[in-house]
Amino acid sequence: MATRLQFENSCDIGVFSKLTNAYCLVGIGGSENFYSTFEAELADVIPVVKTSIGGTRIIGRLCAGNKNGLLLPHTTTDQELQHIRDSIPDQVVVQRIEERLSALGNCIACNDHVALTHTDLDKETEELIADVLGVEVFRQTVAGNILVGSYCAFSNRGGLVHPHTSVEDLDELSTLLQVPLVAGTVNRGSEVIAAGLTVNDWTAFCGSDTTATELSVIESVFKLREAQPTAIVDEMRKSLIDSYV
Amino acid sequence: MVQYNFKKITVVPTGKDFIDIILSRTQRQTPTVVHKGYAISRLRQFYMRKVKYTQQNFHEKLSAIVDEFPRLDDIHPFYGDLLHVLYNKDHYKLALGQINTARNLISKIAKDYVKLLKYGDSLYRCKSLKVAALGRMCTVIKRIGPSLAYLEQIRQHMSRLPSIDPNTRTVLICGYPNVGKSSFINKITRADVDVQPYAFTTKSLFVGHTDYKYLRYQVIDTPGILDRPFEDRNIIEMCSITALAHLRAAVLFFLDISGSCGYSIAQQAALFHSIKSLFMNKPLIVVCNKTDLQPLDGLPEEDMKLVMEMKAEAMKTVVGQAGEAADEDAVLLTMSTLTEDGVIAVKNAACERLLNQRVEIKMKSKKINDCLNRFHVAIPKPRDQKERPPCIPQAVLERKAKEAGEIEKRKLEKDLENENGGAGVYSADMRKHYMLADDEWKYDVMPEILDGHNVYDFVDPDILQRLEELEREEGLRLEQEADDDDFEMDGKELTPEEQEALAEIRKKKSLLIQEHRIKKSTAESRPIVPRKFDKDKKYTTERMGRQLTSLGLDPSKAIERIRGRSVSRKGRKRERSLAGDDEVGDDAMDVDGDQPRKKLRLRSQSISRSRSRSRPPSEVVPGEGFKDSAQKVKAMKIGKKAVKARNKDARRGEADRVIPNLKPKHLYSGKRSTGKTDRR
Repeated sequence: MATRLQFENSCDIGVFSKLTNAYCLVGIGGSENFYSTFEAELADVIPVVKTSIGGTRIIGRLCAGNKNGLLLPHTTTDQELQHIRDSIPDQVVVQRIEERLSALGNCIACNDHVALTHTDLDKETEELIADVLGVEVFRQTVAGNILVGSYCAFSNRGGLVHPHTSVEDLDELSTLLQVPLVAGTVNRGSEVIAAGLTVNDWTAFCGSDTTATELSVIESVFKLREAQPTAIVDEMRKSLIDSYV
Repeated sequence: MVQYNFKKITVVPTGKDFIDIILSRTQRQTPTVVHKGYAISRLRQFYMRKVKYTQQNFHEKLSAIVDEFPRLDDIHPFYGDLLHVLYNKDHYKLALGQINTARNLISKIAKDYVKLLKYGDSLYRCKSLKVAALGRMCTVIKRIGPSLAYLEQIRQHMSRLPSIDPNTRTVLICGYPNVGKSSFINKITRADVDVQPYAFTTKSLFVGHTDYKYLRYQVIDTPGILDRPFEDRNIIEMCSITALAHLRAAVLFFLDISGSCGYSIAQQAALFHSIKSLFMNKPLIVVCNKTDLQPLDGLPEEDMKLVMEMKAEAMKTVVGQAGEAADEDAVLLTMSTLTEDGVIAVKNAACERLLNQRVEIKMKSKKINDCLNRFHVAIPKPRDQKERPPCIPQAVLERKAKEAGEIEKRKLEKDLENENGGAGVYSADMRKHYMLADDEWKYDVMPEILDGHNVYDFVDPDILQRLEELEREEGLRLEQEADDDDFEMDGKELTPEEQEALAEIRKKKSLLIQEHRIKKSTAESRPIVPRKFDKDKKYTTERMGRQLTSLGLDPSKAIERIRGRSVSRKGRKRERSLAGDDEVGDDAMDVDGDQPRKKLRLRSQSISRSRSRSRPPSEVVPGEGFKDSAQKVKAMKIGKKAVKARNKDARRGEADRVIPNLKPKHLYSGKRSTGKTDRR
């Protein structure tokens, strides 16, 4: 099930939230609408935590995590770190790392098994990612963009990448990540996938500008309903051709 | 993509309004004051400006009209033809042409009169020329009045045309009047078209939108068409024909098989065949409506034959446009808009066939190559034996299994917020969901910053141990200090003799201090008896001399010394010169008078220079531009005389300090109008 929502009139909801299989971090907004959308969907299963990172609300772009751990940038304050540690389960390792590229969410894309990272990350950071998140780390680009965290979003069941990714790149990335991948857009043609979409293994949230076609692609590739990724080449193919070409 | 929006055309004023607008503008925006006495070039320029300005405004306004109205040859042929049908292309072009001609005429008039104005030789003549020029321009506009009125009418009508996008996915509904076209569009879209049980209820095109397979379709309801020669068709029917001819759409031909519309199936079939050329290359579906009154199976044989003929015709369009054999069901469909039987099936069939056709065309285009990656699902090839299972909690699966109604609604933060004053007032509890070993710890006060310091910086695990150490150290130090104190002197230890001696010493000391203070209080430690002890002035030098003499001492030296120190010495008169005395008493004082003489000599020798002679006040030094002192004296006299009278009256002179009146009353009182700030 994918849900469409907005954060204070902005459709880039992936900037203001971080969703994983074990917890969900949400930026602190002016009202509780944004938080409650996540709460209604998730609060029975995983903790939904309101927090800031380094005093900012753009938490989705600053941190990276999965069900095993959470990496926070060096700008995180002691109090924020304490708050996050208190709010999420003890099994999840919370680690603040001294990485020069502090927008970890833009530099790291991961699911519970594999991570793609920015090519310029420190060696130590790479080791930390592998240890804390328990993943294999690959330094990669997505359609020529080094900010892999911004231009792709994937769970353990599927993934959506930048619309200009070539077929060969798609196959290569898919083999690395071991999940089916599709090139697509969110928010009525936005290429910044991770800004408009935040996803885990059973649910997804995307910006309210997302069209019905985009939403159906998302639901099929992430297997959110009965739909399978192959639906994109079967039933939806015609609609996609008519809307893209 | 070109958007067809005729709502933005500016209002076309009527001829009379047009003239009023332009002339009042000229009056407001150009200078109005002119005098006979002005130079003739200035007069000419004044009127030329008026003529040119008026012409310019006419030109702008008329150009705006000509540019804003769409050119029928440039817009999409559907709109071109629709506008032709509605407003008559010739008439429309003629009106715009007239506007254009008027614009040129006015330019020419202005040019001629400006030329004439160059030869105007008086104010009156220039003015007459201007009046003539403006008058002729207005006449031109008055003559195109009907065209302006016509264009305004068209503008109003055009702004109300439905915004049909000729390039998007379109479903077109056509058929005889009163066969249920509008009912159908009301069923599948939210267009809300008026439905009435008489012919030609729909008099123009109507647009609605519907969704199919994630895509949006534009559904167009057309007015009914009668089967008659093309030339006889009225404007309302022609709208339908235009839409059919120009829109690449799926066409639904509606057939009323019950005949309740007043036309038999034969008549409707005849219409179908007469306009079938318009269905070329379009997905066509024959829709048999009103099956609630008359099922298709129950039709008489000849009618059935006619229907089958139409179906065969429609099948041709299928084979014509698609290579593969289409299923026959999608060509002839039955439905009832009253009972909503088959309505959705008709919509789906139409959308599906249109989509198929569009996709087929697009697959042949070059653009498809840019998007091919987006229709590709990359399926991973296994690269190792590792299992990478998804991680979905049991609770999610359970929740999914439940029916939607069974899940009890949770009380969300949003509800709490609304109950407690809404956004901006409600402050959410951040610690509510903390997962701690003991729930009571949730709201423990955790000092973070105290007195400007981060408490954590000062947290030390072995602080108690250190404190103990410090305290021990402190104790040791205190003990040692106590030992040292024993060696100190104490007043009690002194013997009585020593105490006495000490008292003596102290007394002496204080006396000395006192003495010193007294000495210090008198000037320069001189033995001066203060005035308050010498009120009778009895302590004189004579008395001192007497006393000293009585003691058998020579007082002269002491007296002299005192005198020498006396303050009044400076005022003392000069002593008589001793020069004469020296000669006289040389021998007498030969022996014992040696000392003073020597001193005297010494003194006279030590004076290195004599005191400069002071100038008498009457003397005047020449200089300051004067030849000699006589001239200067004269000048001074004149100067003194000049100021004498004024000084006598204590009047003000030019050398006096003056504070001018900073805020003169006449400049700072009363109301001000233009140009009155400096002078009134």
